[in-house]
Parts: sequence; C-alpha cells; structure tokens
Amino acid sequence: MKITINVNGKQQRFDVEPNTLLLNLIRDEMSLTGTKYGCGIGECGACTVLLDGDAVLACMMLAVDADGHRVDTVEGLSDGNKLHPIQQAYLDEGAVQCGFCTPGFIMSTKALLDKNPNPNEAEIREYLNGNICRCTGYVNIVKAVQCAAVKMKE
Amino acid sequence: MTRKSDYVTVGKDTQRKDGVAKVTGSEKFASDLSLPGMLHMRLLKSSFPHAKVLKVHTREAEKLGAYTLTPEEVPDIKYCPRLVSTPEATYKDWRILAKKPLYVGEPIAAVAADTEEEAQLAVEALKVDYEQLPAYFDAEESRKPGATQLHDAIELKGTIINPERNIACTLDLQEGDTDAAWKECDEVVERTYRTNRRYHLQLETKSVLVKPEIDGGISVWSTTQSIHNTRLLLHEIFGLPMGKIRVYKTPLGSSFGSSIQVNTIVPIAVAMALKTRKPVKLTMTREEDIRDHVSYNMIFKVKLGAKKDGTLVVGHLDAVLDLGSHQIQAYALLGCMAGWWVSLYRLKAKSYKSVAVYTNKTPSCAFRGYGNPQVSWMVETIMDELAEKIGIDPLDFRLKNYIGEGEIFWGQGPTVKSVIRSSGVEEILKRGAKIVDWYNRPRAGNQTGRYRKGLGMGRGFHTSSAGAPVPGTVVDFSGAIIKLNEDGTVDYITALMDHGGGTLEAHAKIIAEELCLPLDNVNVISADTSTTVYDVCTHASRGIYSGGGAALKVAKQVKEKLRTFAARMLDAEASALSFRVDNDRKQGVIYAEGIKGREVTFKEIAYNARHKNWGTIAAVDSYRQPACPPHFTGYFIEVTVDTWTGKVKLDSVVAGADIGTVINPKLAAGQVHGGLAQGWSMAVMEDMSYDAKTGDLINNGNLTDYKIPYPRDMPDLEDFEVFFVETVEPTGPFGAKGIGEGALNPVAGTVANAIQNALDIRFYELPLSKERILRAIMEKEGQ
Ligand code: FES
Ligand code: FES
Repeated sequence: MKITINVNGKQQRFDVEPNTLLLNLIRDEMSLTGTKYGCGIGECGACTVLLDGDAVLACMMLAVDADGHRVDTVEGLSDGNKLHPIQQAYLDEGAVQCGFCTPGFIMSTKALLDKNPNPNEAEIREYLNGNICRCTGYVNIVKAVQCAAVKMKE
Repeated sequence: MTRKSDYVTVGKDTQRKDGVAKVTGSEKFASDLSLPGMLHMRLLKSSFPHAKVLKVHTREAEKLGAYTLTPEEVPDIKYCPRLVSTPEATYKDWRILAKKPLYVGEPIAAVAADTEEEAQLAVEALKVDYEQLPAYFDAEESRKPGATQLHDAIELKGTIINPERNIACTLDLQEGDTDAAWKECDEVVERTYRTNRRYHLQLETKSVLVKPEIDGGISVWSTTQSIHNTRLLLHEIFGLPMGKIRVYKTPLGSSFGSSIQVNTIVPIAVAMALKTRKPVKLTMTREEDIRDHVSYNMIFKVKLGAKKDGTLVVGHLDAVLDLGSHQIQAYALLGCMAGWWVSLYRLKAKSYKSVAVYTNKTPSCAFRGYGNPQVSWMVETIMDELAEKIGIDPLDFRLKNYIGEGEIFWGQGPTVKSVIRSSGVEEILKRGAKIVDWYNRPRAGNQTGRYRKGLGMGRGFHTSSAGAPVPGTVVDFSGAIIKLNEDGTVDYITALMDHGGGTLEAHAKIIAEELCLPLDNVNVISADTSTTVYDVCTHASRGIYSGGGAALKVAKQVKEKLRTFAARMLDAEASALSFRVDNDRKQGVIYAEGIKGREVTFKEIAYNARHKNWGTIAAVDSYRQPACPPHFTGYFIEVTVDTWTGKVKLDSVVAGADIGTVINPKLAAGQVHGGLAQGWSMAVMEDMSYDAKTGDLINNGNLTDYKIPYPRDMPDLEDFEVFFVETVEPTGPFGAKGIGEGALNPVAGTVANAIQNALDIRFYELPLSKERILRAIMEKEGQ
C-alpha cells in the first residue's frame, strides 16, 4: 500500500504491507534507529514517537495509520549543531545512562511540554508513566524535564 | 596526596562525551546495526524443559529459501560462556545448539533468510521430533537420590566430571573454632530464607551481527561486557586464528551482568555466518530475552550468634543455589557468596557449606551485585532480628560489629582477600541516622489502623573489582593505550565497556587530571579486539577502579615522555618542569616555574617531535589492581503499608555512600538512584515463576506480567536524598572506588526491615508481594 508521511518535516512516500508496524517502517525503511524496540507490546515506551504532536507507541501502530500524518522522531529534534533544550537538559542533569530509553523519554517529554509548559512533579511522573528506564530510577529524568521546561521558556 | 578540592577535572560534572549521540538517536546499539546483503536469523527453541532432540526436519524451511543450521552442523564441543575465571574454576556444560535441551527456550536450530518475516516463516516450518524427559523446577527435588541426571558429563580443565544428583559444584569453608564460639553466645537466631528469581530487564534485548570476512575471518558486533572474552571464546569454539576474529565495541543498552558471559546467540550466529558466508543478524525478541537469563535464586539456612553486650561471635551459613540448567559462573559465585556473607560484620569463627544445583529452568547469571543483594538481604534482616533479641538498637549493633579500616576483607571470597584502607561506614550510618531521626522511629507493633509507617535501615558494600594482592581463580586486569596527537589532544583507547554509568567519562577525567589537559582534549576512541589490549570484563564494579587505574598508569608514562621532550625543547632539567592546564589556549602546558618564556604546549611538543623525527609520544600497558576495596553504602527507607491490601508504598529514602573520591558527581548519584529502583522492585515486585506442567514461565515471556517500577512508583525528588562521605582510597585512581553494585545491595534488606518496623512481622521469602504481606497480616491479626 502506498502511503505518505511527513517525517521530521519532510514529505516521504512508502510502499508498505497492510500489517507493517510503524516501528519497523521507522527503523528499517527510514533507517531512523533512534526509535527503539524494547518490548513490542506497549509496555516500555522505548518506541515513543510523535504523531501530529501526540506521543504514540510506534510498536502498537500500523504504518498505514500514519498515512497523511506527521511523524516526529528523536532524530528530527535538534536543528543542525544545536541540541534541542530537552536534549540538552537530559545531558545537563545526568538523565542519560545507557541511553536506550532516552529517545522514548525525550519524545514523551516533548509531547508533555508542548501541551503543558509548566508541569509539576506529579504531572511529569504521570505523563512519563508509560516509559521504563532500568538505569536511572527516574530521578535525573524528572529533573531533566523540569530543567527543560525552564530552558524552553528562555 | 592532593586534596580533592584541588582537582581541576576530577569531581566536576561535565557533559558526557557520548551524550550527544545518545540524545540525538545516533548512538548505534547492536540491534541498530545492519550491513548490505545481511540475512536475518531466527531460532528454533525447545518447547520442553527437558527432552532429547531426535531429529530436526529442515526440508520445508529450505523450500522457502531459508538457510538452516542444526545441532549436527556446529562444532561438537562443550564450552562455558564466561571466561572471567581461571580454567580450574570454569565448568563447561553448554553446546552451541542443544541435542538435549534442558530448559524451555534453549536453542536447538536456526534459520536465516533475507527478511525477518521470511526467517520467521522458515523457523515455523522447522519440525522437531522430541523424546520428553523428566524435569525439575526445584533444587531440593532435583538433588534427591534417584532424580534423573540432567547432564551426563561436564568438563573442568580438560577432565570429564559426572554431576551426580544434579550437583553442579560445591564449596565448604571454615575459619576459627566454631564449636567453642557457639558456646560463648548468649543469643542465637536461626532462620531459613528464600530469594526470588529476577529478570534483568535490560532495556535492549540481546543482539549480534556477524560478518564473514574475505580472509576467512569474522567481524562481530554484539551485546557484551567483554570484547576480548568474546574473541577468546570464539577462538576456542571455532579454532579461527585470533587475528582473524575482530570483536568491535558496541554500546550497551544496559546489561546489569546479563552479558558478562558471551551470549548464547553469538556462537550460533557465527556458525550461521561461516555456513552461509553472508553477514547475519540476530536480535532477540523480548519474549526470547526473558527466557534467556535470570538471577540466581538461593536458599539460605543461617545461624548467627552474639553475646549479651552486642558482640557478634559466630555464624554458619548453608547455601543452596538453584542455578537453572547450565553453569555460567556458579562455582565462582559460591566463593563470592561466602565473601558477601562475612564481609559486613566481624565473626571470629564461621563455617560455610554451599552447593549449586541444576534444575530445568532458565540458566542463571550475574545480576548487578552477583548474589550480594540476596546475601545482604539475609544478613541485614537477621542482624535486625538478632539485635532485637539482644535488646540493642539495630544501628548500634551494626556500629559495634562492622568491619572497617585496617581489617581483613574477604570481598569476593576466600581467594580475593585484602586489607580495607578506606571506610566511611560510621559516617554513613551516623549522618543517615541524624537525617531520618533514627532513634525516634516508631516501635514495631505499636501501630494500629489501616496505614502503618515503618522506617528501616540496612548496610551494603561491594568490591571495587576482583583485584587482590595474590592471583586467585579470578582474572582481573585492565589495559590502556594513550597517544599524543599533533594538535595536542590525546587519544585514549581501551577495551573496557561502559554500561552507561559514565565509566569512560571518568577515565577521561583521570587522564585529563594527570596530564593537565582540558577534558575536551581527551578523545575516547571506540575500538576493537585487534586495536586494544586486554581488559577482562566490565563487572564487579571495577570500571573506574581497575580500568581507571590502567588509564592512570599509562597517562603517567605518557607524562614522562612529554616531560623528556619538553626538557629537550626548553633546554631545562626534566625533573624541574611543571604541568598546567591552559584553558584559554585549550592546551596542556609544560613550563619551568619562575623562568619567563620557558614553556611549551603539548601541541608544540607534538609538532616539534614530528618535524624533528623524534616520534610519537604514546604508551600502552596493562594494570592489575592489588586489592578490591569495598565501597560502602547505607540506606534508610520509610514505607507505608496498607494493611487492607498488603501494598507497600515507598515514602522516602536517604542513601549514603563511600565511594572514595567522587569523579562524576551527578552520574554517581544516578547509580544510587538506579540501585534503589532495582532494589525496591527486587524487594516487593519481581519474581519469575515456572509452570510445573509445561516448564515455561508463568508470565509467558510477557513484560505485561513482569512489572518493574514506573516513574510514579518512585518517591518524589524531595523525598530521596543521596550523600557521599569524604574518603580517599589509597589504591584507587585519585582515591576513587566503585559504586555500581553497592548502590543496590542493601536495598531489599532495608525495605524488609522497614516493613517489619511497620507491622512487627518478619518475612523470610522474597518478594514481599501484596499477597504475601496480606497473608501474613491476616495470620497475625485475624481477618
Ligand atoms: S517497544 Fe513499544 S512500548 Fe515497548
Ligand atoms: S538509561 Fe538505561 S534504560 Fe534508561
């Protein structure tokens, strides 16, 4: 099936099977391997991308359902040489250890802060509650979201 | 020794060098790699916990155009996937593809095809004739007389041994006159503890990519904590010359011990690549990964005695290790468990009996702490119970009996003893106690009502590396290469893997500090087995202590060469020259103090050395640490138990740590945060149970039924305090020790003690699940 998706701001055409997962399209066809496979069943959030600005799990979505929509992945966040404030905040706060969960967390953070630029801690934890990190215990991740909220207002 | 505050780079928070790659999605983990013309592999795994494979029918799969690989086609040798121990401690009982699978999920055959989907169809087309055999899911059952033997023959240093009654290995130890010591005791507590079986749930599932090279060799990118041990094992199995096996460092999507061993899929993929002469890739699904590895589960029968005045005297531990179906490092673990058990508190006499038993479950491997979280859970809860019996405050009991500076430390067991040279134990306990107002905590049994609060404490430690003054049965040394570039920067090349904790960032800081270079001028180069010197493995919290020790040793050698070249250029006495960082010029500078104009930058030295044909300044060396100093931790945890549901809520945490000099402050605190989260879920959430009928996991390999904490399950930022006490480890690079495992080890014991404080109930089995807690409350208090 022929579909068109706006990937990180660029219109692209793909020919996919009706059962192709959005995650596989992103990783295999688009070669955007920043979006990760962690479970394939919607439990870990490692595959989080934005669909028209909303955080979605790419492992739980068919590629055809993204037809005509905009998909943002972690690769599209920084502009050229400058990191996006969220990315910078994750580094400044030591929120990145192995980094395998990081793209998913960063995309969830983006969706959150775009909707709610001043989340309190409970709101941050609530919003990120579908993402698993096995390394950080979430402490520095929550701090990074707070720090990003400040940076994005600057 | 320089005071910590004088350091320029060590102890400062910096942006990790691999950070940009990690936040932009450009970091390539093993599962992100691909090569042109690559085949995708899938595995056929045993559906039975114990069976004989009579035949694998491959014709249908081959009709679909797939390549197949059967047990007959792989080298018929026994191997052990972990190469950290010396041969006398390495038990070999694995086969690349099993002819007699011993757990549900053990690989029997493999297929490779152009796409993952074709490979999946092909693997479904394979048919196997099995003969089912009896299986055991309990160590006590499998070692009963008359039980079917699971392994006929296993290998130890070239000799065949016959593991009768499914006993894989044993270790007994005794020190001091225990009979006399028991007579000195006024109080004795004797208990049996059972741990849970936990899955690492490292976020990246295991993966491997193999490329056959035109010269008959192979290149390998895999999830591993040791590239050199991967190469050694592949050499041992396939007989390829080592120069033709190149294993590349590949970032780890966390591991926590699950890739200390060479992963099961690696030799299978190599066999397939050698057969097809094409690059092959195999990434485990989560459902496969969850059946691939698990922590050891243990039964402890323990007895501990003390005098009325609170002096600990003697202990006995009887430990049974349920190792699952294959040995990865069970024998080494029996030694370590003895070490974990006797290293926190002084016992003038002790005895230890241990046995590791085969069962038809997932093979167990190290999981952050290598048995120490389990042993420390037992030690810290029985210490509380004994303190209560004597009538002494549990904190005072610990302060009276802890093993500290100047004392002998068993660490990783009897072969790795050394003397403790730095200890912040007392400060951790006293400072923590003050923050939580320890001596005014609720008294156990005083509370009624639905919600009850409890405050508990627990201690922990782990060795930093497995170094020792004399060689034992553990290999532990590291190595480094440093060379000066023509722009005055240095390239640092190490085989040591960073799990994500920032180990290599710490190494870069150590090098920058020693050479007086801006941190930006230290390039951490990713390399492979052909271009690095040996490092054993990133495990045992040894990354900073051992690997950083090697980096420092080699940096010192480079420094001397720089000094010699600078002396020639400046016409000065080499020993009189000083080093400093020049941040404006972004250079290291060597100068003769007080003499104007007599200074030269590293860049000028390198430039001059090239034009004058003096050569490259570089050094390479190995380094063995003479000790494995303990890093110490202490936790104070407050919980609320809902007595109607049995649910425990984590209210607040105070964690203190003595890790020597802190090199990466935020990342070191991050180790404690992560350790707390893992320890919390070990205490109250995690367990892998098996269906006794099918031998498969009750959770069916689904993460939906294997819960670990999400962000909301952890305490608020203001309720989680981490502090580091000031110590300097004389044998560590710039005074540093490890942190990774000590951060986790005390948590489960602390949580259990907090729950006891809330309910006045002690638990002897993990996890402290809602059901278990509710049942205990109902037993104690009625409906
Ligand atoms: S991979 Fe999509 S939620 Fe885990
Ligand atoms: S940083 Fe490793 S899983 Fe989050």
